[in-house]
Amino acid sequence: MQIRVDFTPMVDMNMLLITFFMLCTTMIKSQTLTIALPSNEKVDNVENMSQASEDDAVTIILDAKRKKGSMDVDTVNGKVVPVVYYYFGKPGGAAGLGNSPESIAANNNLQVSEFLSNDEKTMQARGIRAIIQERNKDVLTEINALKKKYQDGGFGSLETKADREKAQMAYDEAASKVRKDENLKKPVIIIKSTPQASFGSLVSVLDEMQINSISKYQIDNMTKADSIMVIDYQNRHHE
Amino acid sequence: MGRVKIAKKSTFIDMTAMSDVTVLLLTFFMLTSTFLSKEPATVITPPSVSTEKVQETNVVQVLVNPEGKIWLTMNNDTSANWSNEKMRVAVLDKVAEIYNETHKSKPISFTPEQKYTFSKLGAFGVPLAKMGEFLNTINEPEGQTKMDKWLEGDGNPNHPTGIPISWNQNDQTPNEFQMWMKAMRQSDNENLVNAIKDGTGVAIKADQNTSFEVVHLVMDNLQTIHMNKFTLLTALKGAEE
Repeated sequence: MQIRVDFTPMVDMNMLLITFFMLCTTMIKSQTLTIALPSNEKVDNVENMSQASEDDAVTIILDAKRKKGSMDVDTVNGKVVPVVYYYFGKPGGAAGLGNSPESIAANNNLQVSEFLSNDEKTMQARGIRAIIQERNKDVLTEINALKKKYQDGGFGSLETKADREKAQMAYDEAASKVRKDENLKKPVIIIKSTPQASFGSLVSVLDEMQINSISKYQIDNMTKADSIMVIDYQNRHHE
Repeated sequence: MGRVKIAKKSTFIDMTAMSDVTVLLLTFFMLTSTFLSKEPATVITPPSVSTEKVQETNVVQVLVNPEGKIWLTMNNDTSANWSNEKMRVAVLDKVAEIYNETHKSKPISFTPEQKYTFSKLGAFGVPLAKMGEFLNTINEPEGQTKMDKWLEGDGNPNHPTGIPISWNQNDQTPNEFQMWMKAMRQSDNENLVNAIKDGTGVAIKADQNTSFEVVHLVMDNLQTIHMNKFTLLTALKGAEE
């Protein structure tokens, strides 16, 4: 006598269970971005504060696109559209901002840009990335040379996994040396943000720092001059 | 005419092998899955090129919703010394101690049952003055569902959700969010304390559309209590260099 058990219902049930577990599982782990901020304590001794020289300083101000004729944040497809302002050196440039509306409008050195990825065909940087790259080109040339050296096996062979890790470490060390090299001209980037700017754009700008190998950047609060320039810019470029 | 005789074959397919495979797959998914923990607010983290993976253990996650409400989640190591449950009880004791220093007229304390309930919570975040009442909800019928609803904000004015936070730059007068973070740092769990010190122990999770003002408030609060290094949770974006 032959005994046969029909396993079809068993398979059905297993499939259901598999579906349940597949849907409940999180396979992708979140990524993180580490940031270090200065302490909140007031620095009494001004000499201890690190001062960026005027030609090195680049201030980036993050903002969000506003609805027409109002200060409310506009969204496109449920996403806040970031606006990036930037200026070099001091607010108002060498002449300073002045107090009268005319002098503010004349000396306002605020410019606008946006977050764009590299051009798909030419791989050229666009938007704010192009501006940061231009300011940091000394360091980037060195870093790119190191990258090429790494790919050509200049830091050791890339055959096995262990070799690759070794070469990667040597590369990282050399790259970090270049980033901190005092002889190279590199910008100091000050990141500021209006209260309306989105958290996403803050992460985007921190990404740009990483992409462009910026070693000196800080997150700071808006000053009065910054706010005046942003408002002045918005008033003059109102659609 | 002669008929071609077709032999009758059974349509029975042996499913034993199929069953074997599905059971194997099932075992795989059961063992690898970590369940999505229920959070009081759903947020979409912003995309970033950073490839650093989030810590699985010894991390305090600060969940910030777009309205600026805050909840905390703790993940501790699985060692016997500082299991999640034990750590939570220790932190609750510590935070009560810190709270009572500044609220001498209305001190808070927790019963062993309340502590037990707290040790089983996922994300947490109600004002400390309401914490006792919140933890007692578990004894009501459908207590767990009620607690989840309270955390999500059930519209009841007596059920405030989110850890109270305000602009405060004085280390001596911490607000409740700062009290919690201090309690974590002052705990005896060295692994967590070290992780907080080197910046991997505190992760801020906020939605990409959340305004900077809200995130800045959290960052400023952490700066005040000298936690200047922390991480932001992001999602992976296509690699570009």
